[in-house]
Amino acid sequence: MSNTGIKEGRRRRSKRENHLPLYLMILPGLVYLLVNNYLPMYGLTIAFRRIDYTKGILNSPFVGFENFEFLFRTKDAWIMIRNTVAYNVVFILLGIVIAVVIAIMMTEIGKMKIAKIIMPVICFPNMISIIVVSYLVYAFLGSNGFINNAIIGGRGIAWYREAKYWPYILTIVHFWQVAGYSSIIYIATMSGIDAELYEAAKLDGATKMQQIFRITLPLIRPTIILMLLMSVGRIFNSDFGLFLQVPMNSGMLFPTTQTIDTYAYRALMELNDIGKSSATGVFQSVVGFTLVMISNLIVRKVDPDSALF
Amino acid sequence: MKHKNKLENTTSRNISLVVMIIIAVTCVLPFVLMISASITEEKELVKEGYKFWPNRISFDTYKYLWAKRETIGKAYGMSILVTLAGTLINVIITSLFAYPLYRRDFKARTPLAFLVFFTMLFSGGLTASYIIWTEIFHIKDTVWALILPNHLMSAMNILLVRNYYSTSIPEPIIEAARIDGASEMRIYARILVPLSKPVLITIALFSGMAYWNDWTNGMYYIKNQNLYTITVYLNNVMNNIQLLSQRSSMTEGMNLAELNLPTVGVRMAIAFTAIIPVLIVFPFIQSKLIEGVVVGGVKG
Repeated sequence: MSNTGIKEGRRRRSKRENHLPLYLMILPGLVYLLVNNYLPMYGLTIAFRRIDYTKGILNSPFVGFENFEFLFRTKDAWIMIRNTVAYNVVFILLGIVIAVVIAIMMTEIGKMKIAKIIMPVICFPNMISIIVVSYLVYAFLGSNGFINNAIIGGRGIAWYREAKYWPYILTIVHFWQVAGYSSIIYIATMSGIDAELYEAAKLDGATKMQQIFRITLPLIRPTIILMLLMSVGRIFNSDFGLFLQVPMNSGMLFPTTQTIDTYAYRALMELNDIGKSSATGVFQSVVGFTLVMISNLIVRKVDPDSALF
Repeated sequence: MKHKNKLENTTSRNISLVVMIIIAVTCVLPFVLMISASITEEKELVKEGYKFWPNRISFDTYKYLWAKRETIGKAYGMSILVTLAGTLINVIITSLFAYPLYRRDFKARTPLAFLVFFTMLFSGGLTASYIIWTEIFHIKDTVWALILPNHLMSAMNILLVRNYYSTSIPEPIIEAARIDGASEMRIYARILVPLSKPVLITIALFSGMAYWNDWTNGMYYIKNQNLYTITVYLNNVMNNIQLLSQRSSMTEGMNLAELNLPTVGVRMAIAFTAIIPVLIVFPFIQSKLIEGVVVGGVKG
């Protein structure tokens, strides 16, 4: 009698409390998170140290904000922050307009068979490596590229030496790569709109434009706001590959192509200036985090359901 | 009135169709230029530049690639190896990690979920990661450098899989299995994995794409040519061309052999071969990827 009671108790306890297997399942991922995500957060302290190789980078003595003073005294700091923010503002605002317009047009032709071909085609550029994209751009803009040979003629333009063209070039390349893909989320939202709304509007004689501005746009507004706020949180981050690879690391283009990410990379790998590079990293992480928190606060006010947390 | 509406409908549909076709063609054209450059005769390419319709076609570039199959083939093989290994490990540790997060009776559930989620808000960034990976783990010039940093697991994927478990696998099933004495590992392998195949395929595709297209890990950590992946190889070729054009003003096509650099056409041929796998696989997986974006965007 008591024997079975003990057995039962043990069984129940093991059923309730033996979570060791669950911890073991968590273990590989947990180790990875610590190594890949949390140790680098500790690594941010490098920005507050004066690098002393004899003691090792991670054990160098603390010097406060010295590296930040060096960083923000350079002209580079202003240029890279200006470029990063300016490109992001253009990419975000124009990006929403382009994605929504594509989504509206795709929805318009959604029932046609050809839409099933167009959709993957316009998403495809997003699936290839930015390295390959830089080769494609080079085929157009290189010294004997397509544009110089077939369109301009004569001696052409040395694109990779003229900084003034690059804001346009990078914007075009960016949208060529992401426009189709970024419309997916809006297409999905629009597919959820009740078709009867449009039918009723048509009966009332609403034009297509009226339908778009009075039905579609108001109904996808939450998605637009969410996307907007999520990208605002990343306004100090840039598409590293786009700004590093597509201008082919050409020094003459830095005034219009240098961003915070490419600067951090160059300071680290080319100038071997760990201090400035890590100071850049801290700036980006802290400002980025603050912006994410602020934008989430706003989302929670505007539309609590779409808030990140 | 009705007639006018109908007319307007077809007009707006036609305008949309024309604009979308133009956009689709714009997306394709650069690839066409790349492919035709790769089959243009080298002399014509150097003299007359990149053209959509070459006058003289030659497959010398691809013959050259075949002749150099040892270097380029090795890079290709490396890409395949890294993609397969990385994706496999990614799917396993992600799906394992998501299971206890899904179990409501698991005590550490909330703090662990926060630990995952926090990585989406705050990151150590590039420099700090680089120092940690090289100073503590010494992964420079090892194959691990291509697999471990950045892509092995992502918070986004964990939350995606956890949500999928929660919405499509009722907890009573798990309860019943446990009462029948099934171990946690058995529940994972026999119930969770089979029932969550769609989402596991989606994260495998995202991960596979990330590994195949990655060049950052190679650029940071790999100097040994034997460990080049195809994108790292391409990146390296591009850097050398850039160095060359900075050093002197000589035109392209000259002295390339001296620097052991592939010629203009060959470069485009390599770039094209690098996207062939994506080109082949993409039509079959695109609907899956698009689905993944929608689910991730809505729930993430």
